[in-house]
Amino acid sequence: MLRADSVSLAYGDETVVDDLTLSVDSGEVVAVIGPSGVGKTTLLRLLSLSLEPDSGRVTFDDTDVWAVDEDERLALRRRVGMVFQEASLFDASVARNVEYGLRIRRQWRERFREQLRSVVRLNGTADAVEDALEVVGMTEKIDQDARSLSGGEAQRVSFARALAYDPDVLLLDEPTSDLDPRNTAVIESAIETARNSGIGVVVATHDMNQAERIADRVAVLLDSDLTEVGPAKAVFESPEDERTRKFISGELVY
Amino acid sequence: MTPGLASLALLAEFPFESVYVRSIIFVSLYVSIIAVVLSTLVSVPIALVVGFTDIPGKRFIKSVINTGMGFPSVVVGLLVLFAVSNQGPLGPLELVFTKEAMIMSQFVLATPAITAVSLAAVTSVEENVRDAARSLGGTRLDVALVVIKEARYGIATAILAGFGRAISEVGSVLIVGGNIAGSEGVSKTRTLTTAIQLEARQGRYETAMVLGGVLVAIVLLVNAIVVRLGDDKVMG
Repeated sequence: MLRADSVSLAYGDETVVDDLTLSVDSGEVVAVIGPSGVGKTTLLRLLSLSLEPDSGRVTFDDTDVWAVDEDERLALRRRVGMVFQEASLFDASVARNVEYGLRIRRQWRERFREQLRSVVRLNGTADAVEDALEVVGMTEKIDQDARSLSGGEAQRVSFARALAYDPDVLLLDEPTSDLDPRNTAVIESAIETARNSGIGVVVATHDMNQAERIADRVAVLLDSDLTEVGPAKAVFESPEDERTRKFISGELVY
Repeated sequence: MTPGLASLALLAEFPFESVYVRSIIFVSLYVSIIAVVLSTLVSVPIALVVGFTDIPGKRFIKSVINTGMGFPSVVVGLLVLFAVSNQGPLGPLELVFTKEAMIMSQFVLATPAITAVSLAAVTSVEENVRDAARSLGGTRLDVALVVIKEARYGIATAILAGFGRAISEVGSVLIVGGNIAGSEGVSKTRTLTTAIQLEARQGRYETAMVLGGVLVAIVLLVNAIVVRLGDDKVMG
């Protein structure tokens, strides 16, 4: 479905992603593991269609994303959801946050009318918003101010926000690295739910145990390059690449 | 007679005091509010563009904004007067000694202040919030709207600060407006500040004090709103 094909990207002289190929299909979870600062975030940004690679192609359902015009690219971009390491919620209620993706997909006239309605407090909450919050167990906090939530709750809302508009691909950048075990478990089960509903998930993580728990396939990113991509079990139990083996066994410390 | 009664008597002597004061307040508010609204419509987009895009000459624009904040208001008045005078580029519009000319000079004075404070407010919106708006499928306009919304208290503070500068300014409105009041005592281009200046010079201290009180009340009210906005989110 979504595929980065031999993509490279450099910031100035520093090559961050070097000739790298990775794809995700619907209903699968791909974990990208590797040490911090190795280019996982950049790879996700390339997949989120917000960064153009210096070379190589990014395709979405066989459409070359950077060969089409901006409107078409926006339409493709809107089929992707992304969750960052920090929740980065808007200064508004939980409902307004989760609704955001749905709201900006509407016509301006409709959005304006909705704004008027919300001024006189007549608007109900869309079902999609409640459904998304249910996945992360946050329906009870729907009317709370998003900035008053704890870190873990905020991240769960942030996940629901990306889920609400029903994307085809979900990109998660270290979604649980700042969370306690309970919130981590909630996010992991939400990833499972997303996968079961046919969403393709790419999750960048430095937590190998997490990758093993949730991923169908694992991609190991070392030195701007994918050293190994394959089924989770195979990568962890019998890595083919020497660097991968050393990284997984902890011999290679970054 | 006690001093208090004396001033009451003086006020009563003044022939058209009530219409006079009311029309002056109206002119002051009218000119300042229109100027600040126009200024905001220009300043906020400039702040967004300067804050978030890599346009050439960004440093130059920033230094123009900063210079503009400290620009002497009488000089602004003088320049606007040249512009609208018969020989000036806007001469055919016949704007000398009109409220429109006063709005123009107030606009020139308020814009740098509103832009500078708005710029500080929008650039303080965290990058990850902008990233989130974009990653959720936002266009450039959607992201800009999110930034404005996140920076709303700062932008409101900027607007009120600009209003405070405009309404208490005297030099430029005196030059381009001419401090004119009609024979019925209805202000045409006389504002609170220019009226105070005139009344004080002519020795009508009581009227000057009343006008001064009104001006201080307006400025204090605006300041109180600014402080409250800074304190908490009353607009929530």
